[in-house]
Amino acid sequence: MSLKQRKCLTAIGTVLLFSIAQISVQVGFAQPAAGGLPVPPQQFIARLTTRNNLAITVNGNGAATGSSILTGATIETGPDQSATVNLGPLGVLDIAPNTKLVLTYDEHGNVKVMLLQGCAVLATRKKTEGEITTQQGSAGKTDRKQGGILDVCFPPGASSPVVNQGAAVAAGAGAGVGAPAGAAAAGAGGLFGIGVPATIAILVGAGSAALTPVFFQNNPSGAV
Amino acid sequence: MLNKTTGPLPQLRLRIGIAVLAILACLLLILVSARTGFSRLVGKYALLTYSIPAANEAVSLAPSDPEAHRTLATVFSHLRLFDGAKNELETATSLRPNDDYLWLELGNVKDELGDTEGALAAFNEAVRFAPYYAHSRWQRGNLLLRMGHYPEAFADLRQAALSNRDFLPNLIDLAWGLSRGDVKATEQLVQLNDDRARIALARFLARHGQAREAVDQFHLAAASATEENKLDLQRQLIDAKAFKEAFELRSGPTNETTAVFYDGGFEGPLSFDEVVFGWRIPREQTGVSISLDATQPQSGAKSLRIQFNGNSNPSASLISQTVLVKPQHRYRINFAVRTQDVVTGALPLISISDAVSGQLLGSSPAFPQASNSWQVLSFEFATLEQTNAVILSLQRNRCSSDPCPIFGLVWLDSFSIEELK
Repeated sequence: MSLKQRKCLTAIGTVLLFSIAQISVQVGFAQPAAGGLPVPPQQFIARLTTRNNLAITVNGNGAATGSSILTGATIETGPDQSATVNLGPLGVLDIAPNTKLVLTYDEHGNVKVMLLQGCAVLATRKKTEGEITTQQGSAGKTDRKQGGILDVCFPPGASSPVVNQGAAVAAGAGAGVGAPAGAAAAGAGGLFGIGVPATIAILVGAGSAALTPVFFQNNPSGAV
Repeated sequence: MLNKTTGPLPQLRLRIGIAVLAILACLLLILVSARTGFSRLVGKYALLTYSIPAANEAVSLAPSDPEAHRTLATVFSHLRLFDGAKNELETATSLRPNDDYLWLELGNVKDELGDTEGALAAFNEAVRFAPYYAHSRWQRGNLLLRMGHYPEAFADLRQAALSNRDFLPNLIDLAWGLSRGDVKATEQLVQLNDDRARIALARFLARHGQAREAVDQFHLAAASATEENKLDLQRQLIDAKAFKEAFELRSGPTNETTAVFYDGGFEGPLSFDEVVFGWRIPREQTGVSISLDATQPQSGAKSLRIQFNGNSNPSASLISQTVLVKPQHRYRINFAVRTQDVVTGALPLISISDAVSGQLLGSSPAFPQASNSWQVLSFEFATLEQTNAVILSLQRNRCSSDPCPIFGLVWLDSFSIEELK
């Protein structure tokens, strides 16, 4: 091998070595950093809204409006608490006061509510099958093609649930839906249309507040 | 020649002019204050009754008061008229742009409307104006979580839990649920950086049946753990039927399970609050009184005295203790008993049952009705394939009548357990 050929081979070898080193460096950079945060698989997460933003109990912890509800969550409401779980494309679950249930759902259009006690209304959209079960078994299912609404109440000590008789809505599930107070007040007359008694109450309150300094002066004895 | 500008008349006019202006300004201020005050009053009424007309009137009385717009938005939100609520909150935030709560409310309303990007923008503003407050970070973290931006979401959620420890159990719960019950991933998502967080995670894991991991986490935080923390975790482990781990937390790690009674001779004090491996005595017992007696112990300085005064539930456990055992092993229990004038249709006895399933594994002979001296009784039992712990209880035989009264005195002492080869 001539000197020229040897130099040529050395140059090619150097270039090859450099190229391999470059690839190694890039592969090394492409690897995920050891000890980095795990990235959980993407999944749909439901959203909680509570009445008047009062905290309810989710998996034993307090949770208010804006909290995330994962599948398998145990949700419990107290005497003056009601809540709504927005299941996005799957539907909506309204929970009445004094209710305890376990909510499971998946991306394949299945929503299941295990109603341990209390009342709930499950409204599912098309392509979603909703079911409410109690300790006695299935209380009802919605049609996957049509979607539908299940209104179920299962009070403590009851032998069987009350299904689709409006009992859950009456118990406060979905409280705040519609415009009961506002609509009622709209035609009530009185100042600002808020009703005569309310108008009188406001005016008397405002008048009393304004006249308080006149009747109750600094010196209560009236002595000069 | 008189200077017109410095004479008494123009000065008077100037003074009157200033006074009139001042009076007008005062009247204006009074009017504005009255309108604002009245607006707030009407607003309070609107919130109590969720009345849209009243809330509208509050706004028309004080259109530049963000609180009036917020009131109307709250009423709209309650009635699920989120479009109206959004408009009012947008006005409110434009009037008072530094209020993080207004931005949070706007974000929540936009989230309700499905406008996640708009909600995120509002939450970003809330975080901008309250970067160290937990509520703003928590809300944004939850939204990011639902948007699938997990790393950013957990950064916010962790920051919120750092600012307000009340969020820590929620953070652990979310990490656990999202990682589908993976302890390691949960730990990494929560990024435990202090002992309080570790103790919280230990409690959570104990509740979710991960006893080994719970104890490991607790040991890592042992330097900062209080006795109350330890007892609390022991309770959680006992509730989860993780007896071995609960015992380990009390006595340190053990490879070999040696069955042993805790204070079998009743020499230590009795406590109603004992929940783990000591003698457990129910707080409420009818017709029975239990005390330590130092008059005639069979061994040591004390024995246990039980006085029956009438009706008591025969199946109720009067005292009990959980004992760690090995599966599929035979054991013998020895104890001393003394009785005085026991009159009943169902005599007391000692029973042993599996701590998890409650299956009866063995029982002693019924106690004698009257024995002036101590008698040592023994009985054997075999543990099941899955038995890791047994519960020894003082109970009564089955009774043919109901109610089933019992009168008299029983003393117990010197409990011991031995493994049979």
